[in-house]
Amino acid sequence: MNKPSIQRGLRSPLFRENLQLYSLFLPLAILIFIFNYLPMWGVIIAFQDYKVGSAMFALDGSIKWVGFKHFLTFINSENFVRLVGNTLRLSVLNLLFGFTIPILFAILLNEVKQFRFKKFVQTASYLPYFISTVVVAGMALSFLEPNGIINNFLAVFGIASKEYIIFPDYYPTIYTTINVWKNFGFGSILYFSTLSSIDPALYESARIDGANRFQQAIHITLPGIQFIIAVQLVLQMGSILHTNTDLALLLYRNSTYATSDVIGTYIYRIGIEGGKYSYTTAVGLFMSVIGITLTYITNRISNKMTGYGLW
Amino acid sequence: MPKNKNRIQEGSMAVDAALIILMAITAFLTLYPLYYVLILSLSEPQQAATMRVYWLPKGLYLGSYEKIVLDPKLWRSYLNTILYAAAESAGMLCICSMAAYALSSKRLKGRKVFNIYLLIPMYFSGGIIPLFLLIIKMGLYNTPWAIIIPGCFSIWYTILIKSYFGSLPESLREAAMVDGANCYQTFLKIYLPVAKPILAVVALYTLIGVWNEWFKSSIFLTDQRLQPLQLYLRRILVEQTVDLSQEFASQEQLQADMERRLSSNQIKYSIIILSSLPMICIYPFFQKYFVKGVMLGSLKE
Repeated sequence: MNKPSIQRGLRSPLFRENLQLYSLFLPLAILIFIFNYLPMWGVIIAFQDYKVGSAMFALDGSIKWVGFKHFLTFINSENFVRLVGNTLRLSVLNLLFGFTIPILFAILLNEVKQFRFKKFVQTASYLPYFISTVVVAGMALSFLEPNGIINNFLAVFGIASKEYIIFPDYYPTIYTTINVWKNFGFGSILYFSTLSSIDPALYESARIDGANRFQQAIHITLPGIQFIIAVQLVLQMGSILHTNTDLALLLYRNSTYATSDVIGTYIYRIGIEGGKYSYTTAVGLFMSVIGITLTYITNRISNKMTGYGLW
Repeated sequence: MPKNKNRIQEGSMAVDAALIILMAITAFLTLYPLYYVLILSLSEPQQAATMRVYWLPKGLYLGSYEKIVLDPKLWRSYLNTILYAAAESAGMLCICSMAAYALSSKRLKGRKVFNIYLLIPMYFSGGIIPLFLLIIKMGLYNTPWAIIIPGCFSIWYTILIKSYFGSLPESLREAAMVDGANCYQTFLKIYLPVAKPILAVVALYTLIGVWNEWFKSSIFLTDQRLQPLQLYLRRILVEQTVDLSQEFASQEQLQADMERRLSSNQIKYSIIILSSLPMICIYPFFQKYFVKGVMLGSLKE
């Protein structure tokens, strides 16, 4: 501990100061306790048969303990393979496009020399982020109608009109496109800022050594943003079992469950709407454990390979 | 912003041209969908129904705007969103900056324990179901507090403000103490005014969050009179169960059924424009703040 410079050997001013500091911290501490720690405690209902009206998160046996019953039910149900498969498919697609496009966009736009045009494209790319998810989903649904703009556009190439939103085959494409459209611009901010902090002298000397534009991008630009990419990748891996439930709930429907039903939507439908609280808490807990494990593993790998990680 | 020297120079003209075309296409793809909705909302209902209006509005018709502006449910939900946004932003700024000040003080005993207390919920969470049950047990279900109280603090923003306070020289605090100021005075009179930029970032992010949010509101607020704008939009834009021609029937009961369906479809486009307009108009002016927020956030990761 640092020795306080104005303590003057008296303990009481320091004590009073600490009391004041605690009082400033207290409101946040209480809120975190209620809304973060109590729900964590609440996961014990995953091992119980919680019914509506049961005492809250009780340990005294007033709610029947069932051990790992709910976990086994979930793993053995036919939903398990479908849900995990769908979630992974959408997450991997999001990793392939939602993660790489912002990086590519930042690198390419950074090459544009016309300052005003560059600024304009950048500002335009942020726009979708500020349109709410509900409106974006509403727009997409309207564009995908049988006489909507997408079908009208495809008709130019002689493709017959179809109601794409009701076919499971098209759902991953639709979902990924909307996700990428909404977030790529905002996601590129981080890379833009990092790119502008690369030392210009590096490019200077590379040119003297005869490196062309492409070689400079590979040997200077990419290594320059490598650590940000590594950290973002670790974060993404940890959330690979969390798809964008907000968007999925707006876009999916019975006829596309085969590809569109993910863990988040399942928990919402069976838990909140269906009232199977213990079962869906078990599903959620199972998934978070896998998520935390994945974060840990990717962080280890990233630390080994690039030297950068979350911790 | 000075001209960026880092871009790779000495490229050929062809590469430059290709880049500009590619970026122009990107900008078009981000802007056009909303522009398309705008011209659909302004076109004659018959033209809008075909959705074959691509570059300029066909005809000019403001009837659908007139109808939604007269819908009290829209304004009710708009007002709710504004109230929630104001309450959550105010709460967020107070609670997070107070805690951040305490945690940034090197003389706070038990700082390490408090930091761990903040870090654990960032990696572990009970999930949505226990939170839902908790809200019900606390009697917050179907009250505005179910949205406002959990929405007026954030561990993440507290850490953001804390790292900002931490970057200020410790001598600032000591000088104030020597002058006889207590913690509250130092916090209010010296630290808060200096922290304006980061507080603006936090307020802006909170606003965007409240503006966007619909999932928790749909779970915690089943009473339509309490629901925010996004849930009103969801009923009209996404849930096909709501028949718009009935929602707005009072105005046009005498008109032919066909015409009614045409205009009710167009109402969707007008609602999209009317509800998105405030955000779209203000975000370009706040660019520097959210860029700053992203950068500060990444430093701590």
